[in-house]
Amino acid sequence: MKRLSLIWLLLPAALLLAAFIVMPTFDLIRASIFDPEFTLKHFQRLVERGVYVDVMWRTVRVSLIVAVICTIVGYPVAMFINLQPKKRQVALLFLILIPMWMSVLIRTFAWIVVLGREGLINDLMIGLGLADGPVQMLYTSGTVITAMVQIMLPIQIITCYSAMTEIDLDLMRAARVLGARRWQALTRVYLPLSYDGTLTGLVIVFMMSMGFFITPALLGGRQDMMIANLIEFQVQHLNWSFAAAIGIVLLVLTVAMILLLRWTGRFAFRRLLNVGR
Amino acid sequence: MTYKLKLMPAAAVALGLLTGPALAQDKVLTIAGSGGAVKDATEQIFLPAFTEATGWSTKFVAAESNIMLEVETMLKAGNMLYDAMEVSASAYPTGVQNGFLAPIDYALLDPEGTLPEAAKKEFGVVAAAYSTVLVQRLDKTPEGRKMESWADFWDTETFPGPRSLKRQPQYTLEFALLADGVAKDELYDVLGTDEGLDRAFAKLDEIKDSIPVWWTSGAQSVQLLSDGEVFYSTTYNGRVNKLQESGIPAEIMWNGGALHTSYVGIPKNAPNYEMAHEWIRVRTMRPDLEAEYVKFLPYPNFAPGLFDTMTEEQAAQMPTFKANADAQFVADEEFWAANIDRIQERFDEWLLF
Repeated sequence: MKRLSLIWLLLPAALLLAAFIVMPTFDLIRASIFDPEFTLKHFQRLVERGVYVDVMWRTVRVSLIVAVICTIVGYPVAMFINLQPKKRQVALLFLILIPMWMSVLIRTFAWIVVLGREGLINDLMIGLGLADGPVQMLYTSGTVITAMVQIMLPIQIITCYSAMTEIDLDLMRAARVLGARRWQALTRVYLPLSYDGTLTGLVIVFMMSMGFFITPALLGGRQDMMIANLIEFQVQHLNWSFAAAIGIVLLVLTVAMILLLRWTGRFAFRRLLNVGR
Repeated sequence: MTYKLKLMPAAAVALGLLTGPALAQDKVLTIAGSGGAVKDATEQIFLPAFTEATGWSTKFVAAESNIMLEVETMLKAGNMLYDAMEVSASAYPTGVQNGFLAPIDYALLDPEGTLPEAAKKEFGVVAAAYSTVLVQRLDKTPEGRKMESWADFWDTETFPGPRSLKRQPQYTLEFALLADGVAKDELYDVLGTDEGLDRAFAKLDEIKDSIPVWWTSGAQSVQLLSDGEVFYSTTYNGRVNKLQESGIPAEIMWNGGALHTSYVGIPKNAPNYEMAHEWIRVRTMRPDLEAEYVKFLPYPNFAPGLFDTMTEEQAAQMPTFKANADAQFVADEEFWAANIDRIQERFDEWLLF
């Protein structure tokens, strides 16, 4: 009885999801295969024209790189914060969150100011005699990835951190007391216990990166197209069905990649650390 | 006809419910157009004049970049909110092909026939002429030289330095063909053939490496020039004032520019079809108002006698000034509406490799 009545707590969220996520998703699926009669021509076009497959692959690659860099950079930061006294933890988390108060657009523009031909870094390098002329940093894949990492990093740090707060630090001490070296206590106790949260962070960053639009459009060169940029073009030209088809493929691809990441992540982790047996 | 998303009309109905009651009360004409400088100038000049002439008040809505998306949604929902709207050069063929626009009643609008033929289209009256032109920073060009043709833009030895073009095939492939020696009046015949397309892309290959960035919005092209990210870029002729005002020695190359016309039109099922014609009259046929408008934005229309109100210096900045117009080609929007899907795919592919 008590359980049943608790379900009502989910009602607002469920309604919201049904109205704004589930229904539009079905609508999207329908739009992609009815035009107006049933047809698979939009998916056929997607597969046959190399450009869409290629951009999909580029999108997956960039998102994966961003997610992995965020994990490598974010994990030690989260760990550092978690090992501080409680009061300092709050202050540090506050600092991590500050950039998230600014819109992605503004943070993207900030990179233009920093990395431009007449931007801060080039001015500094030329001023110090480190470079003869301006170095092209904007409009390269490296810049897109750097900016995306900067935008996504707080998310990864927070997710890792919240998983780490669950860890009873006494377990580390117990491991040391029982003769484990620092490194062993870390890899055998701390890493396995924070692994799930870290992978979740990686997946969230990957997922959000797959839909990036503004950053590659403003900071990327001609080769840094992502799939969202192609969808936007199709919508602008009222090609709803084809845009829907690209959207569906993006959705399926993202879900498939998440499952793959979860599975390979767990597998690789177990092999690597030889735990879980 | 393409399939439309079912939920969009629902959103439009919701929008209609929110804004509807306010509209029903008094006589208000709802006009949609671009935001920014165009909106400011329209609100200062044309809207008060319309109210004075008709007694109707106005509501100006800054619309999405592609207004036809909104019109399609409203038609689908059976609730047309706009009485009249700006229709950009590229939106016009889309609107006509999909039947989103109501025909203009010229007997009602212009019974005396004062508008020149060039201003009159079946589904719109020319509200503004504008150009996609090359703009160069004279402080970055080699001493005492400046680009005078698209061949110069391709000449990276005489004119070294980063350049930019719009990230779309329209009015980019044309420039490539001009640089390759195709005559202005043959551009679209050449582009219509496979060999012609190959030729345009082959020409673009030559400067691919000199173009670090392909701009996607007019504002971005100006920002690139003003930040010194590129020394030469295409942009819209009205944007160059912004650069000059901030002290940057930027100059337009009219030769080989693409001349466009945008329109004021009436969407299908507009609630006030006849009054919308009064708006079109105020917007396109009053040289006194238009003379004020072009002081803000050099986007003139064909209001009879407009050029008589201008000084020679002012006139020379207009895309429809004789010498400027003669140097340009007229962009063929119908060609692009019919071919954009296919050519854009090839263009995207070309960009990737």
